[in-house]
Amino acid sequence: MEKEYAIEFRHVSKIYSLKSKNKEHAINKRFYALKDINFKIPKGEVVGILGTNGSGKSTMSIILAGISEVDEGEMIVNGEQALIAINTGLNPQLTGLENIELKGALLGLSKKRIKEITEGVIEFAEIGDFLYQPVKKYSSGMKSRLGFSINLCLDPDILIVDEALSVGDKGFAQKCINKMKELKATGKTIVFISHSLPQVRGFCDTAMWIEGGMLKEYGNIEEVCDHYAEYVDYYNALDNKAKKKERDEKFNKRIIPNVKKKGFFDRIFG
Amino acid sequence: MFKSIKYVLHENVTNLFRIYSIAKYELLADMRDSKLGLFWNFAHPLIQVLTYWFAFGIVFNRKAVTSYGVTIPYIFWMMGGMVVWFFISPCITNGCNAVFSKVNVITKMKFPVSILPATVVLKELFNHFCLLVILFCIFLIGGIYPNIHWFGIFYYMLCAIIFAISLSMTTSVLNMLARDTRKLVLACMRLLLYLTPILWDIKQLKHMPAVVGYIMKANPIYYVVQGYRDCFFYHKGILFYHNSMIAFWIITIILFVFGSCMMYKFKHKFIDLI
Repeated sequence: MEKEYAIEFRHVSKIYSLKSKNKEHAINKRFYALKDINFKIPKGEVVGILGTNGSGKSTMSIILAGISEVDEGEMIVNGEQALIAINTGLNPQLTGLENIELKGALLGLSKKRIKEITEGVIEFAEIGDFLYQPVKKYSSGMKSRLGFSINLCLDPDILIVDEALSVGDKGFAQKCINKMKELKATGKTIVFISHSLPQVRGFCDTAMWIEGGMLKEYGNIEEVCDHYAEYVDYYNALDNKAKKKERDEKFNKRIIPNVKKKGFFDRIFG
Repeated sequence: MFKSIKYVLHENVTNLFRIYSIAKYELLADMRDSKLGLFWNFAHPLIQVLTYWFAFGIVFNRKAVTSYGVTIPYIFWMMGGMVVWFFISPCITNGCNAVFSKVNVITKMKFPVSILPATVVLKELFNHFCLLVILFCIFLIGGIYPNIHWFGIFYYMLCAIIFAISLSMTTSVLNMLARDTRKLVLACMRLLLYLTPILWDIKQLKHMPAVVGYIMKANPIYYVVQGYRDCFFYHKGILFYHNSMIAFWIITIILFVFGSCMMYKFKHKFIDLI
């Protein structure tokens, strides 16, 4: 049974510390970026993660990708996970071809594998004659396509896509979604983080709604999307005062007050 | 402790191609930045050597340096040591920033952070080879001819590399905990240059208590400087400096172990330290 889940979260919390307003160093507030999150994502499922700004989606993505550690609880991952980071690792001074090699190497691909993927990347990115131009001269869409296609060649079991499609135009987004649908057909688990409801509805099987660092709903795509859309409408309809009140309420639930701050040397030896 | 050392070594060895690629393309990008590119890798140290030669060789009128019965003109003697400094110095300053300068990469992908010090050192190593080539030419013109002892340079180069990686390992993590580390290191670089007997001969400290001389000789950078000079001019062999050698390896290993432990401890926490 265990094996069927790609990702399992058990009471996961992530805590950030906040600088206190007055410059008293001894006492610092701590803040739940994610609070007590539980879910299981079955293998081969495409999950969309929804949530308003600041609700912990990006934190979620770096934790899922294994870049950041959880502070409480545990995360169980079956398989290799990778975060799609479009513009990371591209060096504007280098040419397209060199960037393919550089980013490939950064992602940990072997020399042989990079040679294999080069052709496909060039084709997907549609860079054509720009291959030998420095990336600083690329249009931003071209840059994104280049970055995205190199990332996809990593061939992980679990793919995490964080707002990646919001950079390019519609054509680019569609192209990426098509590519991801191909990957989906091969049985990969995809976590898709986005603001765009239509994209999530069109692409995902299930959806997860995170609000204020807590898991609000996880389940059928249509249901969650509808509830989320309702909430956004409700929130937008509020006047400024009520909005502020709502935000403060959410914020206060996430705070852990009066924790002694760790100093420089405590951190090294503690 | 052993777990962290094993972890760091394993990560570095399994990612050799990654280290090589990062260093290569960093170097390439640096060159593309300027019109003259590679030229600056040679010109920059050359101009610096001229500066020090003017200041010390001409203005202070430093005479030829005699050690172990061999007399070497000051300019050659200085260059034999400076070549090491031109390698170690950028390694220390950039090594300190090794992790921080790659923040956008380590926050966006799963990345073996502990290879970053090695990439910085490898990048500088290329410049070092360029410089060595020039140095050999100058020595040939100046009448100092190659000798079997020159191969000893490879040993000392290895020492310098390991020392630089170990130091960067420590400072780069400390720099993530507090960015002040880099400021401190940058401020201390000039001090370190003059504290290390590169521009002056260690025998000039004769009037000081003997303990000062010992401290100077325990300086790991001086061990490498001394080694290079020995290979070029004095030909005493590697084992002749056994006391310095022991001191050098002890310091280097301590740095490496400390650096590895820190690396291991903070490997997943860097992202929260930005």
